[in-house]
Amino acid sequence: MSFSFPEISIPVFSFLGIFGLYMACYVLYSLFNIFHLVKYGIAGNGLFLIVFTFLGGTILLVAASIFLLLPYDWTYAIPLNQITDVFNENVAL
Amino acid sequence: MNLHHLPNQRPNEHVVLFLRRHWFSLLRIGCAFALLTILPLSLLWYFWNSVSVWIQEPFLGPLLTMVGCMYFLSIWLFVFLEFTDYYLDTWIITNERVLNIEQEGLFKRTSSELDLASVQDATAETRGFFETMFSYGNLFVQTAGEKVRFHFKSIGHPEYVKELLMRHVQEDKQRVVHTKETK
Repeated sequence: MSFSFPEISIPVFSFLGIFGLYMACYVLYSLFNIFHLVKYGIAGNGLFLIVFTFLGGTILLVAASIFLLLPYDWTYAIPLNQITDVFNENVAL
Repeated sequence: MNLHHLPNQRPNEHVVLFLRRHWFSLLRIGCAFALLTILPLSLLWYFWNSVSVWIQEPFLGPLLTMVGCMYFLSIWLFVFLEFTDYYLDTWIITNERVLNIEQEGLFKRTSSELDLASVQDATAETRGFFETMFSYGNLFVQTAGEKVRFHFKSIGHPEYVKELLMRHVQEDKQRVVHTKETK
C-alpha cells in the first residue's frame, strides 16, 4: 500500500502567511493591553516602566525572530511526493 | 486614572487606602513565566544535537523556528495580560466611599462604589498555608441591602484593612448623622 500526491509543491514562504496572521493578532492584543494600562492604570513612573518593559520585551523578541528566520531560503518548495515518500518508507518497513 | 482625581470625587473626599492583590499573586505569574520559559529552553539545550540538525533542514528548519518564535511571543503576551489583570484590579477606600475596580480579561471591566455609611459589617478571611504565612486573604464587605457583598480579593493584611475600614465607617455614619442634624 502506498500513497502518492499529484505534482504539487508547498513553498516555504506560505508559512510566513500564518506567522503574519499571528503577528497581526499579537499586535492587536498588545495594543489593547497598552490601551487598558494607560487608560485605567495609575498615572506615574511605575506605569511608564511597565509599558516600556512590555514594549522593550516585544521589540527584542520580534527582532530575535527576524534574526532567526531571515537566513532561511524562503523560496524553497517541498514537493508533496517527498512527504509521502517518508510515509511509504515507514509502511514498507 | 489619578488618585488625586477619583471618579465622581466628592468635596473633601480623600484616599485612605489604595489596595491591589498581594504580591504573592504576582509571584505566581512570575513562576508560571519562569516555568514556561525555562522548561522548553532546557529541553532545547538537552536535545540540541538533534534539534541543530532539524533546524538546518530547508523545510523543517523555518517551520520549527517559526513555531518557537510564536511560542515565546505568546508567553510574553500571556504574562503581560495576566499582569494587566493584576495591576488593574484595585480597591480604593476613601473617607466616604469604597471603590471596587476589577479587570477581567481584556474586554470586561467592572467598576462599583459603596457609601461607607451603608456598610453593615466586614469579614476578613485568611485560609490556607500561604495566606497564613504571607498575611494575605479576602475581605468581604456587607451592606444593609440584599446586594452582593464587596469582595476584596487576596489583599495584604485583611484584618488591618477591616479594622481601618470599620473605623472609617463609624466616622462616616457620625458625619452623616451630624449633617442631617445641622439641616
